[in-house]
Amino acid sequence: MSQKVAIVATGQTKHTSKRKDVNVRELINEAVSRCLADADLRMDQVDAVLIGNMEPFEGFMFPELWSIEGWGGYLKPSVKINTGGTVGAATTAAAYYYVASGIYDTVLTVGFEKQSDGNSQAAMTAIGEPMWERSVMAGAIGNWSMMASTYIAESGATMEQAAKIAVKARHNGARNPFAHLHMPDLTVDDVMKSDLLAWPVRRLDMCPTSDGAVSMLLCGESVAKRRSSRLAWIRATATAHEQQYMGDSPKRLAVMRAQIAASQRVYKMAGIKNPLKELDVAEIYEPATWAELAMYENLGFCERGQGGKLIDAGVTTMEGELPVNPSGGVLCTNPIGATAMIRVAEAALQVMGKAGAHQVSNVRTALVCSYGGNAWSDAFILSDSPS
Amino acid sequence: MGIKPIAGEESIRVPFLMKMEFEYAVGVYATHFFQELKDHGRLTGVRCPGCRRVYIPPRPVCGICFEPMTEWVPLSDEGVLVGATVIRLPFVDPMTGKQRPVPYGMGIIRLDGAATGIFHFVDETDETKVRVGRRVKANIRTERQGNLQDIINFRLMDGPHE
Amino acid sequence: MNNQTTNPIGAVAATVRQKIELPYSYVAGRAVTRFLLGLKSKLFYASVCGSCGRKNVLPLSFCGRCWKPIDRYVPVGPRGTLESFASVPGGVAELPHIAGPVVYGLVRLDGADTLLAHVITADAEGKIRCGARVEAVWREERTGSILDVEAFRVLREG
Repeated sequence: MSQKVAIVATGQTKHTSKRKDVNVRELINEAVSRCLADADLRMDQVDAVLIGNMEPFEGFMFPELWSIEGWGGYLKPSVKINTGGTVGAATTAAAYYYVASGIYDTVLTVGFEKQSDGNSQAAMTAIGEPMWERSVMAGAIGNWSMMASTYIAESGATMEQAAKIAVKARHNGARNPFAHLHMPDLTVDDVMKSDLLAWPVRRLDMCPTSDGAVSMLLCGESVAKRRSSRLAWIRATATAHEQQYMGDSPKRLAVMRAQIAASQRVYKMAGIKNPLKELDVAEIYEPATWAELAMYENLGFCERGQGGKLIDAGVTTMEGELPVNPSGGVLCTNPIGATAMIRVAEAALQVMGKAGAHQVSNVRTALVCSYGGNAWSDAFILSDSPS
Repeated sequence: MGIKPIAGEESIRVPFLMKMEFEYAVGVYATHFFQELKDHGRLTGVRCPGCRRVYIPPRPVCGICFEPMTEWVPLSDEGVLVGATVIRLPFVDPMTGKQRPVPYGMGIIRLDGAATGIFHFVDETDETKVRVGRRVKANIRTERQGNLQDIINFRLMDGPHE
Repeated sequence: MNNQTTNPIGAVAATVRQKIELPYSYVAGRAVTRFLLGLKSKLFYASVCGSCGRKNVLPLSFCGRCWKPIDRYVPVGPRGTLESFASVPGGVAELPHIAGPVVYGLVRLDGADTLLAHVITADAEGKIRCGARVEAVWREERTGSILDVEAFRVLREG
């Protein structure tokens, strides 16, 4: 018998560039322990665990296997998921279905990545298709740069508009105790003077690589209401995938087909017709500043080509009509296997009113949307009410 | 009896170079493409009978129409940059375990006749020149092996941009 | 392209060889660091869970069954019992100093509840069997690596 699903609790590590003090198992355990503490729940009360990560970064197969003592998986119903960059969101979607089905009432989700144990750009390049992409690719940065070049050609967006996104993100992140980068004094000038990694992406246009983990508790309606009065209900979720090669959609990033599909589906499921007006906050997956500008268009916040105008007008800042990434986003924190789940957790904190110094006021409805280089896009609508 | 935790001590790091060797079965369509490139220096794609898109890299099914594709069409060795950048960041190349030499121009090239683009090098490291809309021409080797490196890179062509 | 074959519908299919080399540097974590440092002193350390009492080798900093942190370690061994083994004929690329065959085994160090995987040797073939008593053969120069133990050798019966 199907049931409504709410996010009841969250836990995160303080994300940082190198956790030299812990191995993967210990890193995961920190986030899981915090989530259980937030829920006032014991591990033996958890029905199932869904865990996601992108293993090329850890450099050994099945890091969740080697970490099992840290996430309570021993003999517990559980599944490992990997959809690349969006894995945190895909894992959350899977947990949603576990609970919505009525078969499980209390499901833990885990997202993690220990980027510093490996070499991130090399691992990203190894993900390239061996015959057609790998010998030319230059990691995630190279791909996002090429995609940004297409976006600029289509929209006329400027380096300055991208730099404003970088500043917004780092100022927001400075108010988030878990964010990796805290740069409250960053200026547009700082961003435009940072090294050019691959045109048009400058160092400060790009996300960091981080070590971090996040965990959430999803419960069915009656269990959720008993556990807490501050809940973030999952009203809708959708997943969509691109065609396989990056060049299959020659305007990719300008036109993010999978993101358009996933977000349109959740808007429809949740009855949202005007996202800019009806959403109170959005947490989106922006590995580069240019990606965020393009996402404004692909998520229907504005017309094609107008992404830059939204940031110019301050619409997506903390004081604006639709704050985007009050957490600081991916531009502040990127432990890849955790990142998309951090978006969900942060949006949940906003809906629950538990976001502290980076809380947006009067949040009732939140959008979460990810878009990965591995071609998935996942979207959620979270709400303060079940229907 | 036991050891006391040593406060503030950093953990030991265990280094490991992961080396994996593969022999990928590239499939009938890639084989056909690279054989044509090797034997005749020609680029080809496959056309979907439903939407009429010509795909490169070629593949058996159009993912949008879900139709099998069997019509091979010749493609020009000229096209346009639909994505363009110059890579400057140093990074470890997983194909060699060493730094890949930078800077190098890189692009997504839509060959004339194709609906999709392919990754390749662009023979230019000045960002003001490697731009979306520039026309490019494949620089194809005279001695070929049957792989993507049979195209050395793409050269920027003179003339008006698209 | 290599190895062209003809598939069932008569089309030609080829393969391409590539390698991947990715450098990693794994953080061992506090419990395994304790273990690795112990090897320098020719000691094997197990973690002891304060709740269930399990003695884990390699040691854990957290017991996943009791859901409690662990901060106690005790020495185990130095001898143990071989519980399982397998022989790899022709040697192993990662252990070039051992001419094949290489025998891997799981050793229960005296006092431990879990098994440690390592190379097994004996001074005579046929001595390697389940239940054999083994002891560590230590390298002269030890750096805090699992290879500080060269192998576990079957004890010479006396």
